[in-house]
Amino acid sequence: MELAVEARSLVKVYDGRIKALDGVDLKVEMGKVFALLGPNGAGKTTLMRILTTQLKPTSGEAFVFNFDVVHHGSEIRRIVSYIPQEMSVWTDISGYENLLIYAKIYGIDSGSREKAIEEVLRSMDMEGVKDNLVRTYSGGMVRRLEIACALLAKPKILFLDEPTIGLDPSARKAVWEKLTSFKKDFEATVFFNTHYMDEADLYSDEIAIINKGKLVKLGSSEELKHSVGGEVIVFGINGNDVGEDVLEAVRSSSLVKDVIFHNSELSVVVENAEIALPSIIDILKGKGVPAKKISMTKPTLDDVFLKYAGTRLDTIGRISEVTQVRRMIRRG
Amino acid sequence: MLVMIELELRRLKHDRTEIYSRAIQPILWIVVYGPIMGGVKAIPTGDIPYTDFITPGVLIQSTTFVSIFYGLTIVWERESGILKKLLVTPASRYATVIGRSMASGVRAIFQALIIVPVALLIGVKFVLNPLYFVSSLFIIFLASGGFAAISIFVASFMKTRERFMGIGQAIIMPLFFASNALYPVKIMPPLLQEFALVNPMSYVVDAVRSLMITGDLSNLPLDLVAIAIFDLVMFVIASISFRKIIE
Repeated sequence: MELAVEARSLVKVYDGRIKALDGVDLKVEMGKVFALLGPNGAGKTTLMRILTTQLKPTSGEAFVFNFDVVHHGSEIRRIVSYIPQEMSVWTDISGYENLLIYAKIYGIDSGSREKAIEEVLRSMDMEGVKDNLVRTYSGGMVRRLEIACALLAKPKILFLDEPTIGLDPSARKAVWEKLTSFKKDFEATVFFNTHYMDEADLYSDEIAIINKGKLVKLGSSEELKHSVGGEVIVFGINGNDVGEDVLEAVRSSSLVKDVIFHNSELSVVVENAEIALPSIIDILKGKGVPAKKISMTKPTLDDVFLKYAGTRLDTIGRISEVTQVRRMIRRG
Repeated sequence: MLVMIELELRRLKHDRTEIYSRAIQPILWIVVYGPIMGGVKAIPTGDIPYTDFITPGVLIQSTTFVSIFYGLTIVWERESGILKKLLVTPASRYATVIGRSMASGVRAIFQALIIVPVALLIGVKFVLNPLYFVSSLFIIFLASGGFAAISIFVASFMKTRERFMGIGQAIIMPLFFASNALYPVKIMPPLLQEFALVNPMSYVVDAVRSLMITGDLSNLPLDLVAIAIFDLVMFVIASISFRKIIE
């Protein structure tokens, strides 16, 4: 499998003292959707800016499609598209004009330019508003226009820095629908930074958790969650009496890792709750213990994050800050 | 490079208020200050009327304003993500810098095209030769590129808009008063005369004055060489400092 991105002991130090990246090793396979998940200040943006040739690493190496980011920047810039966190379109001209300017910057020749613009406008559902000034667009529309601009270049890999920050849930969903369909159509690799766990969970093939400049864990969402420990099934039982023999019976099942009875609740720790549930219900029925209600809790990425980074993702302050920046920018 | 100029034209198409409001100050110079000072006859301007003498100077001052404040656009684009995104396109960084500088020339020419008719209305006598007029616009365009490059250089260490506004004023006014825009260099104190000698604005004003008003082109080659050197030096400095803007 060809690698889209590779980093080897990457270090970036700002001004000789702020260590933004502290030895990052990373491999992203071609065609994957890769999420870099971490809190504010973890080094996500720095890593992305090094991979997109905007910054030089202090030490270590990084490659994008086998091109070295330090020595072959111009080759890399020809095959990547990048959407910064803030905003990358001009607000005092129309959406169509933005696309036209970017098409020319990307060097799309005049014969195919119109067609390319039409295509991306259609795929982003923006034909109706293409002649309006970007100033009048909503946050979600601006993002879609930025994606449209990025797609003009038909990139092999798309870098997105916090693609949905400050957007409302429906706009976030719309942006992701577009990104998913883009990925399918072009078989491109998508590399995105986020601090939204649900986004990393839902839309990525692989997740790297980054904290304080270090990658602390790498894997698919499922793998990460499993690594935290098992899932828990909780049975609400009528009355307070469950005999030791019942606990023994449940414990003897090969699917069960542990059983605890406490406060009329029987908690069963299993590898996979969906698979284990039917057989445990059978055991309880056989012992004449009816369950009044059943709930299952699965570990979330937040639990994963807690385990490996030692802290919960704290997002609130960050979002309002960026929303403010975007609002200020839109005002001009 | 050309695409940056196209971008500027498209922005102007949507919003021209800045051009109009910036035209007010130079028009005051020509309509109020010129005739009053001309009436005093205190400044030796040869056989051309004082208002005619200062028209090119005021014109250049206002187009320089436009170019110097062009750095504000760069500061804004740095605050938004546009600069970052431009850096990740196949376009070369130098083309981006020079293209953006030249794009300010487009604004400057539009500025000139508003002021010239006003000057005509109050009776300033221009050399009636379309070739001369177009050449002077071309010189304004070239010089604006250099001044905009100064502003990109300034923007590389003045990273907020407020600071930039202040420093912009502080650059333009000395250039303006220590040039031949309002009075001939030879009536200045010796120290200022020397400054005027290395002041790029003097050469630009001289070139435009000879093409628009006096029709005496004897100094033009020297002026053009000075402007070319100025542009070249500033483009190099701006391109180097551009790296600093993004980090």
